[in-house]
Amino acid sequence: MSTAAELQEAIEAGTVSDRLWLYTNYHCNLRCVYCLTESAPGVERRVFDADQMVRAADEGKELGYRSLGVTGGEPFLMPYMPEVLAQLAERLPLVVMSNATLFTDKVLKRMAPLADLPVMVQISLDSAEPDVNDEFRAPHNFEKVVTAIPRLVEMGITVRVATTGDHNTPAQLDRLCELHLSLGVPEENHIVRGIVHRGRAKDTGMGAVADHRQIHPELTLTADGAFWSPFAPTVNGGRLDTDLLVTRQRFPVEEPTRSMLALAGANPDGTDPSLNLRCG
Amino acid sequence: MSRVELIEAEQAPLLAKPYYAADGSASPLTRVLAQVPELLEATLPFVNRVLGETAVDERTKEIVILRVSALNGCRYCTDTHTVAAWDAGLSRDETAALCGTPAELDERDRAVVEWSDAVKATPDAIPEDVVARAREHLSEPELVELTLVAAATAMLNHFCTALEVPVSEPTRARLEAPA
Repeated sequence: MSTAAELQEAIEAGTVSDRLWLYTNYHCNLRCVYCLTESAPGVERRVFDADQMVRAADEGKELGYRSLGVTGGEPFLMPYMPEVLAQLAERLPLVVMSNATLFTDKVLKRMAPLADLPVMVQISLDSAEPDVNDEFRAPHNFEKVVTAIPRLVEMGITVRVATTGDHNTPAQLDRLCELHLSLGVPEENHIVRGIVHRGRAKDTGMGAVADHRQIHPELTLTADGAFWSPFAPTVNGGRLDTDLLVTRQRFPVEEPTRSMLALAGANPDGTDPSLNLRCG
Repeated sequence: MSRVELIEAEQAPLLAKPYYAADGSASPLTRVLAQVPELLEATLPFVNRVLGETAVDERTKEIVILRVSALNGCRYCTDTHTVAAWDAGLSRDETAALCGTPAELDERDRAVVEWSDAVKATPDAIPEDVVARAREHLSEPELVELTLVAAATAMLNHFCTALEVPVSEPTRARLEAPA
């Protein structure tokens, strides 16, 4: 059976994700307390070249992946990101994760074409209380996010709000939902994500401990190789974790896909998928 | 010290994990190759098949491996296969001799050593008398196999020497233990 046929079978069976993830870079203008990749200003950038991202999208589409995920680091620190996102979205629908703090008038203008493409911008917002949100993320982050979201919505770009962690009480979560609704983000575009005990979350004692049996396989390409999931290419103490590395080889994308399928198929009966950790 | 990181069990990539023992131990060669799991997955089965148990007896293969490793000056392979050669039945004097100038060898072992020396040094110009003595004592399949053993060993010698792969602690302990 061809790799493409095997992939389709695995996607239909729900054993692997239909989404191919691309890590654009590892640096960030924020330093969030739970960041998997210890992203911050000044860290090693580990940039995945724009041309290679487009190649990955082409090959991913050919293999039968049905969508893309673009994450980092903060993808919009890469100066070419709006145009590259457009190129990627012309190939496959995509979700791009962002902290929404870099959306200047100039950047928003360059993002305008994304409104006509299958692009969703996933923006982190961890609390309806500015102080709580900013404690997790960065000073003044709340203010920047609640300013950026309506502007994107107004442009016709789909926005999804991602709340990381389980710190919100039901009442706090209600207030957060009221907030995102008021910003123009419907309920179906709000997700609450778990934290994995990796990266900086390991140092801050946050998140669930999980190995590859609890993390849904979503092939993730980075500058350092192909990983099991977007939760996998983590950094701790400045060192890249390799325990969830699939292959160093990224291209052709068929190669790491083949290895991921073999590993996913090797999970024995009784594997515990209860955490069912997915990135978005 | 190795020139590259030896990957510990808790950081072993998914494809490399099966090559680590339940207690997390793995050879230094395995731990280096784990940096590139897809190549570990190709290399170790090849190496284990060629250098492991096959039709040719283990003692003869260890003579080839140790001799080629010593000639190539590979500390990792020489030390590791000195111990492996003891386990395959060679004496301490015999392994020491294979790392220097072999003296007291029977005709078959001498033919194997001469063939190993020629494959290592001048594979494009192996002397006819060496070929003749090899053919006298080894069947054609044995000659093919031992040549592959010598060539694979040379590849590992270059790899382990260039990356300064360190000898494992158990091997070091065996080497330093009294005879």
